[in-house]
Amino acid sequence: MSMNEFDDKTLRERIADNPQPALAWLAGVLVLVALELGRLASGLVQVGETTRFALGGIASVPGSVEESVASSLGEIAGLVAFGLTVLVLLGIAAILVKWLLIPWTLVDRLGIEASTGVKDIIERVIVTGLLVVAAALVVLTPVGGVLEMAVSALTRGVEWVSSLPTITSRELISNEGYQLPDGSWEGTFLGLSPAVAWALRVAVVYAYALVWLAWLWRGYETFREHYREADWTPRDDSINRLRNHYWGMFGLIVVIMFLVMALWAPAVSPATAEANLYQPYEHEFEYYGDDGVESITHGEANSDSRSQGGDTNVGVMSYDNHDRFHPFGTNTDGKDLFTFLAYGAQVSLVIGLLATVLMAVIATALALITAYYKGVTDLVTIVASDSIISLPRFLLVLLLSVLFMQANHPVAEIYDGGLLLALIFAGTGWPLLWRSVRGPALQVSEQEWIDAAKSYGQSPAATMRKHMAPYIAGYMLIYASLSLGGVIIGVAALSFLGFGVQAPTPEWGRAVYEGQSYIATSSWHIATLPGILVVLLVTGFNALGDGIRDAIDPQSEASDGAAGAAGGGG
Amino acid sequence: MSRWRYFFRRLLLSVPVVLFGLTITFVIVRMGPIDPVAAIVGPEGGGASRGRIEERLGLNEPLWQQYIDFMVNMLTFNLGQSWVIQPGRSVESLLMTYAPRTLWLGFWSVLIAICIGIPLGFYAGLNPNTKSDYLASFGGIVWRAMPNFWLAIIILAVLRQSERFFFGLSWQSLGVSNNLIGQPPLDFIAFTDWITVGIISIPVGVYFSFSTLIESIKQVMPAAIVLGSAAMGNEMRIGRTAVLETINSNYVETAKAKGLRDRVIVWKHVFRNALVPLVPIITNEAFILIGGSVIVEVIFGINGLGYLFFQAAVQGDLPLVGSLMFIFIVLIVSINILQDFLYTVLDPRVGYE
Repeated sequence: MSMNEFDDKTLRERIADNPQPALAWLAGVLVLVALELGRLASGLVQVGETTRFALGGIASVPGSVEESVASSLGEIAGLVAFGLTVLVLLGIAAILVKWLLIPWTLVDRLGIEASTGVKDIIERVIVTGLLVVAAALVVLTPVGGVLEMAVSALTRGVEWVSSLPTITSRELISNEGYQLPDGSWEGTFLGLSPAVAWALRVAVVYAYALVWLAWLWRGYETFREHYREADWTPRDDSINRLRNHYWGMFGLIVVIMFLVMALWAPAVSPATAEANLYQPYEHEFEYYGDDGVESITHGEANSDSRSQGGDTNVGVMSYDNHDRFHPFGTNTDGKDLFTFLAYGAQVSLVIGLLATVLMAVIATALALITAYYKGVTDLVTIVASDSIISLPRFLLVLLLSVLFMQANHPVAEIYDGGLLLALIFAGTGWPLLWRSVRGPALQVSEQEWIDAAKSYGQSPAATMRKHMAPYIAGYMLIYASLSLGGVIIGVAALSFLGFGVQAPTPEWGRAVYEGQSYIATSSWHIATLPGILVVLLVTGFNALGDGIRDAIDPQSEASDGAAGAAGGGG
Repeated sequence: MSRWRYFFRRLLLSVPVVLFGLTITFVIVRMGPIDPVAAIVGPEGGGASRGRIEERLGLNEPLWQQYIDFMVNMLTFNLGQSWVIQPGRSVESLLMTYAPRTLWLGFWSVLIAICIGIPLGFYAGLNPNTKSDYLASFGGIVWRAMPNFWLAIIILAVLRQSERFFFGLSWQSLGVSNNLIGQPPLDFIAFTDWITVGIISIPVGVYFSFSTLIESIKQVMPAAIVLGSAAMGNEMRIGRTAVLETINSNYVETAKAKGLRDRVIVWKHVFRNALVPLVPIITNEAFILIGGSVIVEVIFGINGLGYLFFQAAVQGDLPLVGSLMFIFIVLIVSINILQDFLYTVLDPRVGYE
């Protein structure tokens, strides 16, 4: 739609000129959001709680530093250390704030004249100073109390919204009910059997997710057709190649299936994790017993639905004694295996994604820095990464998680050890990723446009971010998706050995461990199904990585199979 | 830069790598969240025994002194002893007992992976885009994605009921009967007599038992297949690509134009060149074997190095953990050097910049 080749209008102006397609698309988004507003709001509450917790943890750092320094070097040194730590933390925060929230440069507004590098530093100092003032206001004056009240009011509002009904809610399509002697079902959706009701709810969840994806794709097409400056970009070709890459599309579909399962874990599982896994003795449900309708706690019912081989077994796609439906059967202590696995997918994906994102950030930053400066920085990074690789990764991960868990370190308690595992995998995995992207990074640093940027006086950070990072990003995506499978297998293997994610938080590896002695009996499903899920998910991520690679760079071939496999060892 | 200068630079670089790797080990073992003495003394240990052990481990000295002692001890192969698992036993003697089992396991897993993975990959590469190629490639990908711990228990379950799956053929009584779980007997070969010539001892009497050898191989086979599974998939994948690349290269075209027979082309011009990219894959396997052997050894009940490391870590035998880690570092760094050496010798085309 561009009229001339050098259209200077911003995206906002282009939308303002021709608002109709954008508004139509936005209306669709609003309808989709409204259908699941409740679940979205409860997700927001969770994210908010996590953020608050993380902020609290970070805020306690200066205090603990002060304490440890004061105990060895005295009070005054402690105070100095406290101040320094606060400054360092606020400095880091300043970089984030500047990057996210302040699109213009304060230095230019204030009219300060200096060279580019000095300007950057002055800019950061100003932002840090503002943050110090803000932090002091919050901590020392009543402003903090007002802020606290505003946050809690906001939280209450969002919590009220989260109680609104949604189309995938368990109450709307309920699969929990009991069978009357005449064979009809009471309490389930439209009197359907729990199996059908559950299948219907899962179908609704996946249909909803599918509509979302289709709508996002439509949004991209609308953008491409009506609002993008260029009629064609190289990215169009990449996307077309990915669309015609059957193997890559298979991977994408598998990954999306698992993502949906993880995001909607409360909706797709036959029972909630709260009732069935975490506090089974505090949640009751009704069933039709000898004396009519009775109620029983999940915990007591679970003790009748154990799968331990022989006759004590609730297999795949069957009902237990209390009319509860178990699509994947139950595990050794009678809990629903599908619920366990759906929430387990959440845990695996959260740990895997967190570890991979951390790894990718470290590896990209180092690749940019080493490729830009070369020489000693490169050599030091080579030695550091080779040293970490020279420690067998799985043994190192095992050792670290054993040590932290046995010492009951506070980090090991967050997310039942999940955060610790993500940190360990990220800390031991970045050298492999860095090695994979070092080549492309060095290549791009030799290009003429880097020289041009340098001689033009652009600061090193900006050169790396604007002219080098986009080139590496594609490669990073490929290797990150390959190494994600390794992390998932590694976490499952650690949990299998008893040192990964601790009970009661569900994890696939622990299900395999619990079921391993019953694998030759009628309760074969406990250990077999989680394994198949791991194979499927890891294959999916590998296929997606292959697809992205072929889409970005059709000439390249499988050059580095080691990046994906080396993460495993489990 | 000449190839040999590149090789010597890599060799020189391995010195700081070993030192830094050891430093990381020191930080984890001595400065980590667990106090090394607490696990040794146990909850009932009094202050006196605590002090005694602290002194013997050198933990009462300042940290930098501990660091220097640790580095010097390790680098002079003064590996110390075990404190918790087998108190008082030296690390060398533990290694003599445990290492052969892991080596035997590793040897077979590398061999099986090579013998199955490479031929399959080459076959798929020679017949690209046929049904058998797709079957082999897809099988390789799924096989590689299987977690070792899961594959191990599935294989154990299948073998336990092998009569049911293989038409009455029972694995346990096949050939020599054995248990599925347990360590392979390694006493099939022993030297009974030694002659001393000057300072060198030469074995003259050799004891060899063929049936024990068979039993030993049979015992280690399922574990070796599991341990080599990921490597097998990798070798297949890389082998397929390598063959495809060479088969489309100009010199193969020339050979065809010369009228060489297909068999000669394949054996002389394709296979030999396709083997080069497989070298790092095979040496990389050693990495995975050292790390992955923990799971396989724990499940199959083989008391090897991985099992020893696992026990040492779980029971808090941190001095032993440090020494074992050092051995692993040395092993991996030497394998890396071997890989560079092989590359230098095998592939004169690559320019090292």
